Amino acid sequence: MDNTISINLNSGNNPMNSLTFYWMAEFKNGVIFQFEDGKEHKFQEVKDRINELEFFHLYHKDGMSNINFIVDLKKGFIKTLDSQEPETVEPKENIRLIFFRRHRVDLNNSGKEIGHSIMYHLGFQYNDKLGNNRQVVLKIDNVGNWIIGD
Amino acid sequence: MSATFEWSESNTVSETITDGIANVNFGSNDSSELDTATYPIVRGSSSFEKYIRAKFSDVFTEISNIIFWKSAGALVTGETIKAAVNVAFTTPSSTANADSAVPTTEGTALSLQSAEGAATIVYGASGVSGYTGYIRLQTSSTLSTPTGAGNQKTFTMQYDEV
Repeated sequence: MDNTISINLNSGNNPMNSLTFYWMAEFKNGVIFQFEDGKEHKFQEVKDRINELEFFHLYHKDGMSNINFIVDLKKGFIKTLDSQEPETVEPKENIRLIFFRRHRVDLNNSGKEIGHSIMYHLGFQYNDKLGNNRQVVLKIDNVGNWIIGD
Repeated sequence: MSATFEWSESNTVSETITDGIANVNFGSNDSSELDTATYPIVRGSSSFEKYIRAKFSDVFTEISNIIFWKSAGALVTGETIKAAVNVAFTTPSSTANADSAVPTTEGTALSLQSAEGAATIVYGASGVSGYTGYIRLQTSSTLSTPTGAGNQKTFTMQYDEV
């Protein structure tokens, strides 16, 4: 025996970390909560009606009111639930939602999964008055800390 | 709910698939979760290739942007770890293959497709198995490689889920 290399995944059959934030989608006609009447709606339902989507909310599952983000897809800005809407917003065209969870799973070669971080990416992309494609994205960790892009 | 993922390894000429593996122990035998004490890699030789995949199930809409790289851990003298992704499964071999060294930065990470060759894994879509493409890994050493266990290393897989 001269060399040993092993990667212990330690994550087989483990569910991904449970959701910290839930979403809610406001359409021209109607609202979909991610969890409603004991049922989970898949994000696919939002994608299927993406052209009708006006506001997209991401809120803490435990109701922490200071962690409640709203993407306004009519005007193109992001605010928290308690904040005021900006008095002026630069006109934007073709505003499209950005939303996903980015998982990073670290594995070592000696016995265990050593990290599994999740960052929620929330924002929108749009075309400015010159036609340039731009995007604004918040990166939000599991406890609600956030940064704008990086 | 969210997606659940598990690791899967394929072995043998007829492709024995083992889902839910707990480790990817490299060794001198073509089997999953092998005992490295029983099947050590002799200095100056290569391990059997490992063909592993991630498998996603439960509730999700789409998995995308799946990448894999070695994010930490120095190699010792003569040690190499090679990797290739989205390759076809063939009977794992202990002959040194021609794959490139595993990337060591996120910017150069290997991009994984679905097992069906798509950029994304779409939940419930017709013909979608939930597996990624294969990651083929192999480690080799030379006679100048120090004996004993190598340095600790960290491998990272990143993916986006909605």
